[in-house]
Amino acid sequence: MDRGEGVVVAIRAVESPGLAVGDVGAAARWRRRRAVNAWGWRAFLAVVGLMLFGPLVILVLFSFNDSNVLAFPLEGVTTKWYSEALTDSVLRKALANSFSVAFVVAPLCLVLGTLAAFGLTRFRFRGRGVIGGLVGAPLVLPWLIIGIAALMGYARADIDLSLKTVIATQTVCTFPLVTAIVAAQLFRFQKVQEEAAIDLGCSRLQVLWHIVLPHIGPALAAAAIFAFAWSFNNYEISAFTLGFQQTFPVWVYSNVRSPDHTAIVNAISAVISGGQVVLIWFALKLMRSRSGDQATTEMIAGTEAVAAAART
Amino acid sequence: MAAVGEALGIGARTDRARRGPRRPGGARGAFGILFAPVTLLIVLFLVPFLIMVQMSVVKFPPRTDSGYTLDHYVEVVTNPLNPHIAWTTFTIATTAMIVMLLVALPLAYFMVFKAAKWELFLLLALVLADELAPVVKVYAWQVILGRNGILNWLIPGPPVEWLLYSSFAVILTLATTYITYTTIPIYAAMKAIEPATFEAATDLGAGWWQQARKILIPLAAPGIFVAMILVYIPMLTDFVTSDIVGGTGSYMMGQRVRDLILGEGNWGTGSALNFMLLAMSVLLSLGAYRLARLNKIDA
Repeated sequence: MDRGEGVVVAIRAVESPGLAVGDVGAAARWRRRRAVNAWGWRAFLAVVGLMLFGPLVILVLFSFNDSNVLAFPLEGVTTKWYSEALTDSVLRKALANSFSVAFVVAPLCLVLGTLAAFGLTRFRFRGRGVIGGLVGAPLVLPWLIIGIAALMGYARADIDLSLKTVIATQTVCTFPLVTAIVAAQLFRFQKVQEEAAIDLGCSRLQVLWHIVLPHIGPALAAAAIFAFAWSFNNYEISAFTLGFQQTFPVWVYSNVRSPDHTAIVNAISAVISGGQVVLIWFALKLMRSRSGDQATTEMIAGTEAVAAAART
Repeated sequence: MAAVGEALGIGARTDRARRGPRRPGGARGAFGILFAPVTLLIVLFLVPFLIMVQMSVVKFPPRTDSGYTLDHYVEVVTNPLNPHIAWTTFTIATTAMIVMLLVALPLAYFMVFKAAKWELFLLLALVLADELAPVVKVYAWQVILGRNGILNWLIPGPPVEWLLYSSFAVILTLATTYITYTTIPIYAAMKAIEPATFEAATDLGAGWWQQARKILIPLAAPGIFVAMILVYIPMLTDFVTSDIVGGTGSYMMGQRVRDLILGEGNWGTGSALNFMLLAMSVLLSLGAYRLARLNKIDA
């Protein structure tokens, strides 16, 4: 073998580990296959992204379309659907209802969820497993089943359905989400630091204020945003516990098959979805700001895995 | 069931030693802290379920003084409509599940082993897609699949009618709705696999198919089962999707329960059916919980 050729083979072999030395053609084949793979993955991700976010992009497109019919091609640009949406009194009432429910539910969930997270992670006691299961149950059971049970409970207790009953049932079904997020954060938080603070003469309250809160603060803020979004977007529980009023998802639901409202539904859905994209992205960034990337991925993976069945 | 934090720790490492010593006087402190959340859960969550069970066994609900009977359960089992609806629901949910697994497995693999700095971004995007209003997301598919929608505009020839208000639309929409929940438990399970395993397999001459079949899927199996159970539960009771994009051929169990209760006002049969769905959900989630624990012990 010529010495020059030997060097080339050696270099190729170093460039692509895992190849038999001396196999020149295989190196090129390997590199080509890697390039094909990269393009394959890109195409796959593009399709997944399109399926997940494409529909919302289309919604935004149609909200500017100068026609009330959902048909391609688009017919021209207009913002009239946005102004119509803002002047629709039924829609405005539904939005106001959704906001007021969510603004009550989210803080309640934050308090209850954090209390539950502290109780379950910082104390050992008999029956802890049962209480943990009770707190986790609303996350796993379908909202349809919970909504129906709530409807019957209120009927049996002779309580008239109203926004108050919506708030009550949404709160007990949403605060376990806050518990999940905060408990995940408390688990990784070094308890040693709390004990050190006590040894150095801090009171319980001071420990909470100076040590614990700064640590779990971002998680609390993120949890509040998630609780707000869950409450605002909830259809199933609202549908069964609402009575005669409407919330935003209930309004959308009752209008999706009426052709007169199509364009208005598009416009307001675009606004609401856009706002939520910004808000939720901000919440996810917050969760990341304290814990590193590694911790964030673990926390989201853990939280989401059990929050899984909660929708519907 | 252990504490919710532990239950939620699928894939996350929760170091026992870090939590410190047991506190003998813990019960009293815990009582004070847990009193409010637990009381609310009992009054607003547990008691309504008991009332629902009661409604399913009284003769003329909501009147509880009308005597007890099991007729409503007999009605659920003997009505020929119910097995038919159950079968439709099962086939639609299962097809959606297969579609989701075919997407979630490569997606989770990519996020764990290939994405590098994009891993967190992809994870956040998945969560974001999931948190948007479900009713709005389902509605958006109407715009795409409709008679005059984009797909029919792109496909030459006369409009394809079965794209919307059909089982196809329901399956597609369900698959996009629950993909986050299918991917994340699988992702968590794959996180525990040592990347060197694949390098070793490559060195020993295993192709990608062999590696997927002999290494990736067996090691991710607990995550795959957890994902399947956790997504089956809400899919079997989903009624929003089939209401908005479904047709007469895709009438599902969730719609049936809703119509029995809100439409016909038949609380007895509705509660009986709802209780059976509840029992199934509880059994499935206990199964998922056990699998999640197995997963943690392995990791």
